[in-house]
Amino acid sequence: MSRAGSFSLDEWFVVALARTIRDEEVTFHGFGSPCAQVAMHVAKRTHARRMLLVEGATYACNPDPPFIPPTGNDASLQRGAAYRMRFEEFFDAAIRGDVDRMFLSGGQIDGYGNTNVTAIGTDDYPTTSPKVKLGGGGGGCNLAATIGHLTLWTTRHRSGRALVQHCDFITDMGHRTPAGSRSELGYSGGGPQWLVTELGIFDFDTEGDSQGAARLRQLFPDVDVETVRAATGFELRVAPDLSSVRPPSAAELAVLRGIDPLGVRRSEFSAAELRRTFSYSASGRCQC
Amino acid sequence: MGFHLDPDKRVPLDRAATLVADGALVALGGGLSARLPMALVRELIRQGRRRLHVVGSAHGIDVDLLVAAGAIAVCEESYVGFEQDLGLAPAFRRAAERGTIEVRESCCDTILMQLRAAEFGLPFLPVRGVRGSDILRLHPEYGEVRCPFTAETLVAVPPLRPDIVLIHALLADRQGNLHLEQPYVLDERFAAASRNVVATAERIVGTEEVAAAGITIPGHLVAAVSEVPFGAHPSSCYPAYAYDRPHLADYVRAAAAGDGELACYLDRFVTGVPNEEGYRKVVGEEQLSALGRWSDSTKVWKGLFT
Repeated sequence: MSRAGSFSLDEWFVVALARTIRDEEVTFHGFGSPCAQVAMHVAKRTHARRMLLVEGATYACNPDPPFIPPTGNDASLQRGAAYRMRFEEFFDAAIRGDVDRMFLSGGQIDGYGNTNVTAIGTDDYPTTSPKVKLGGGGGGCNLAATIGHLTLWTTRHRSGRALVQHCDFITDMGHRTPAGSRSELGYSGGGPQWLVTELGIFDFDTEGDSQGAARLRQLFPDVDVETVRAATGFELRVAPDLSSVRPPSAAELAVLRGIDPLGVRRSEFSAAELRRTFSYSASGRCQC
Repeated sequence: MGFHLDPDKRVPLDRAATLVADGALVALGGGLSARLPMALVRELIRQGRRRLHVVGSAHGIDVDLLVAAGAIAVCEESYVGFEQDLGLAPAFRRAAERGTIEVRESCCDTILMQLRAAEFGLPFLPVRGVRGSDILRLHPEYGEVRCPFTAETLVAVPPLRPDIVLIHALLADRQGNLHLEQPYVLDERFAAASRNVVATAERIVGTEEVAAAGITIPGHLVAAVSEVPFGAHPSSCYPAYAYDRPHLADYVRAAAAGDGELACYLDRFVTGVPNEEGYRKVVGEEQLSALGRWSDSTKVWKGLFT
């Protein structure tokens, strides 16, 4: 845990995820997603008090958990929820378009926001056995079609293996795949809106020739563009108004530390990333 | 196959497990680390079941242990693993990478729609997504359908009618009425779509008590029920007990090491004990009762997970 007045990268990262949620959105995270899970509770307790928070594996509506556990369907995640959806209630709502945002990650993510959580090391799985069989996509390959907006994230951008030119396997569709664009496939959801990594934040072009392509918008202050370029498998496009990620507020940090006393968010980061700490300077600007 | 109307469906666990044949299409209740039908899974391994085709939503040690024991030919889940906390499922991953099991990875919502097609007695239902995903490559059985009203093209999926579903309940009565606590995951849908439901329960009690708690799955869908305390361990069965994270971590370590260490786990906890009473003894009464004390305080609850 960081000292008062300072904070760690994992904390800042979760706050950055939380800020992609707008107030009054119906928001959902998949299981095995501690950063997104903590982020939703931070948003609910700060800038998005009227959001409907649907827990990823219990489908509890607006629970008030005493802590975030290391598993997605623990009873602690139902505490304080007046209503818990059934599995099918949630999926039906998402497919008919009543869910506004979902968080999605992947072992691989390409420049159009397609994600791979299925298999790595062969591009013709299942004909050829993969080098690594990942766990699988849960409900993503239907949910990604119709949910309003997707916030993607990865904590392994620096490895060079996470943001790739092409996914070996597309589990969940982003903006465009060899099968076509979202509109060509009749998908009503907006697709990936943000991609948050431990190096910076991307958005996706909404029009023109580059529609649906990722674009670097914000950097963490201890990272430069060349570091991002070297770690990114697709051609890096940088927004003309590239800026620094806004530091977390004291209120956001307090809520985050309160809701995640077990530090489950930290399980997503390498030891080196967890050593990145920041503090507020006298001018209120962030220093590394 | 119609409803099951016997007034008394109580059987010992080993007899319940005989309802699962070699090569059967078996659905698994519960999900991730909650209410997995572990006593039935262990008994199937003790009985040497082979070539199972297993379906489910998001699963963990239930599928991984069956794969480790060589009981599975085909895996059709949306996810098999131990979440961010404990990572990939070691035996499942190894078997998939070596090609010794066939993985027909699916999507929670697709499975839901396939179960509904079976429940509704329909030859298919359309799903909204899947196009544009390589999941299509894993399912040559899917088709396409053009909507007669809107002219949209949608993926059509066939009914999923498991031979049997394995469910662990908190409470049951002798007729097989089951009370589950949420999340029910797909248990209700599996129960309605499958030919047979085989259940274990923490306690078999009078019908009045199950009805007062709320009947989640009616007895007429259930073929057999067996009382097995801690029948979901090392997954949770709230409010009776939380999941056993240290046990799962030990399992994942042993399964990742493979060979001798994995054989050792299987011998110690599954094949080397004659039944679930033996299993509970090896796990230890102290450990099991500690999992039941989650409700003492938030501190105790958190302490179970660190």
